[in-house]
Amino acid sequence: MKVFLTILICKLLRFVGGLVGKGSSLPGQVALRLCPDILSRVKLPPYIIAVTGSNGKTSTVEMIAHILQKNGKSVSWNREGSNQIEGVTTMVLGSATLGGRVKSDILLIESDERFARYTFRYIKPTHYVITNLYRDQLTRNGHPEWVYDALLDSIYDETQLILNADDPLVSCFAQGRKNVVYFGADKLSSDTQTLDSVYNDGAYCPVCKKPMTYTTYHYNHIGHYACTSCGYHRHDTAYTITAVDLAAGTMEIDGRYTISLALKSLYNIYNILSAYTVARIVGIDGGKVASDMNDYVLKNGRVITFTLGNRKGTLLTSKHENSISYDQSIRVASAYEQGCDVMFIVDAVSRKYFTSDVSWLWDIDFEMLNNDNIHEIILAGKYVNDLALRFQYSGIPQDKIKSFEEIENAVDYMNNDRSEYIYAITCFSDKGKFLAKVKEDA
Amino acid sequence: MKILHYYHDIMNLYGEYANVLALQDMLTRAGEEVVLEKKTIGDSVKLQDYEFIYIGSGTERNQKVVLEDFRLHAGELRSFIESGKPVLMTGNSFEMLGKTLTDCSGKTYSGLGLMDFTVTEQNKTRNTTDAILSADFLEKPLVGFINKCSTISGVTNPLFSVKMGFGNQTGYRHEGVRMKNLFGTHLTGPVLMKNPEFLTYITSLLTKNVPAVNPLQQNGYEITLRELTKRMNEAE
Repeated sequence: MKVFLTILICKLLRFVGGLVGKGSSLPGQVALRLCPDILSRVKLPPYIIAVTGSNGKTSTVEMIAHILQKNGKSVSWNREGSNQIEGVTTMVLGSATLGGRVKSDILLIESDERFARYTFRYIKPTHYVITNLYRDQLTRNGHPEWVYDALLDSIYDETQLILNADDPLVSCFAQGRKNVVYFGADKLSSDTQTLDSVYNDGAYCPVCKKPMTYTTYHYNHIGHYACTSCGYHRHDTAYTITAVDLAAGTMEIDGRYTISLALKSLYNIYNILSAYTVARIVGIDGGKVASDMNDYVLKNGRVITFTLGNRKGTLLTSKHENSISYDQSIRVASAYEQGCDVMFIVDAVSRKYFTSDVSWLWDIDFEMLNNDNIHEIILAGKYVNDLALRFQYSGIPQDKIKSFEEIENAVDYMNNDRSEYIYAITCFSDKGKFLAKVKEDA
Repeated sequence: MKILHYYHDIMNLYGEYANVLALQDMLTRAGEEVVLEKKTIGDSVKLQDYEFIYIGSGTERNQKVVLEDFRLHAGELRSFIESGKPVLMTGNSFEMLGKTLTDCSGKTYSGLGLMDFTVTEQNKTRNTTDAILSADFLEKPLVGFINKCSTISGVTNPLFSVKMGFGNQTGYRHEGVRMKNLFGTHLTGPVLMKNPEFLTYITSLLTKNVPAVNPLQQNGYEITLRELTKRMNEAE
């Protein structure tokens, strides 16, 4: 009876919330108060697939859901912004019968890293994808090893781990475990022999803390690493990116499947690979997955093309307090051979909590923009002085840089006769202020 | 003039290399010829060759690894500090200077023993906060961020008074340590880049012709101080 009532109330609140456009965590929050162990009382489907990590979880989950649904599976999954226990509870109860049985074939859960140990206390994943662990929101998360330790508490013996082999810290989760599947990239044409990053989180072995060496870097400290002392090294992969051509916009998986990319970034190819890996494990044919992912455009609004007067551009939503996310966007802009202008906005550091910390600007590899593809750099927002100061140390000619404290003034300035394509790079917390001033393409 | 960014690749969690960039820039503009050297574990280092030493924050595990290497320099470091040369240690790096450090598993490491404080870490709660700290040698407060999981007891020579943020111990309004011109603070990140008056003060310990501060630093500082002050007043 308690289960029935809790689910009923959760569903009602969710329905009402949907009508008034309210967030998805309140119904779950109420349900957890009514019945704290409600998640252990529902009957779950045979596949419970969890996804966590610093970057790419939302996109990966969206892609997994897309592929599975295309192949006739029913999937219950949580969308952006509801990846803590309350949001997950709303989703699980929302897709359950009043008798407490989740109707779908597959439960797919994106989980915040720090809260995974609470979410998975009752819902133990059968498969658990960990995408990467980066410097991400360190004003809340401390640092990547702190997050690693927190995630350890969310992993159970019976769960199959699906790990990014190219991330040395993530691969550590396999220590002492048997049931692990690795995905990763072979040496790629876009790789570098030396580290392209402001800092090196792969300098020391995460296991024994002696120096590590790399035979190839895909980006930042993601690549093929080996410890010089304890023997810890990148594991062979079961599912693999075998080639990539970002200029042409294609990737090849397992030497057999070519996928054309709607978004030509290394990030995107890792997200596609992890989604592919999950789909294969669930039993879907590789060729089917590849065709489902061809030219797949994410629906989560993170990449938006726009028009500003006579000019065209793309907004690349990046995460403040996450230098690798910025590096990825900067890499896209700096590869634009026809020449582009790039805009950065740092106005509110976060939309969810207060901080005035901008130390992460110093971890971003703005130096990549020091090339002829980049014509003008427009900086804007409350923290424009900190941005401009960072650029003074970038080696980029200062006459390329224009600074505006008001985002409006920056956009007004950019509404000019220049012919360059525009890349606008900013975070969820600041993109609305930019989009309000431009016309989004349909 | 040689300045040292020590343990640059392992104690550098929050863009902290920018501290030495800020100082190098000030000294260069003062007309000094500055050589910035980056050294790490296992490198052969003679501290007395330098005029200034900087060390930034590391993960709890990396700090323990560095401690074993840094310990070999305890005597040299003491002489360096006693000679009055400036040292800046941000985040958990200055924790190495005390008597002992105890990690979250209860294991205790001996520190360099330059001061009498003891450090205890836990792994349950990350204590993070924006901070406003004031110093008796500066007119305006510092702004920045604190990101730690330790408590430090027995500090007799604190560096800052806490207006917003955490002190060395829960409930304490004093933060960091000072010993002659060694400045140790749990502020993380580019503290010198962000706080022009503190940068000017440290520069003045190294050269006579202290140049004017970069206006971007001054404006960036004032905006952050304004935002943090507003936040602090709202909380009260």
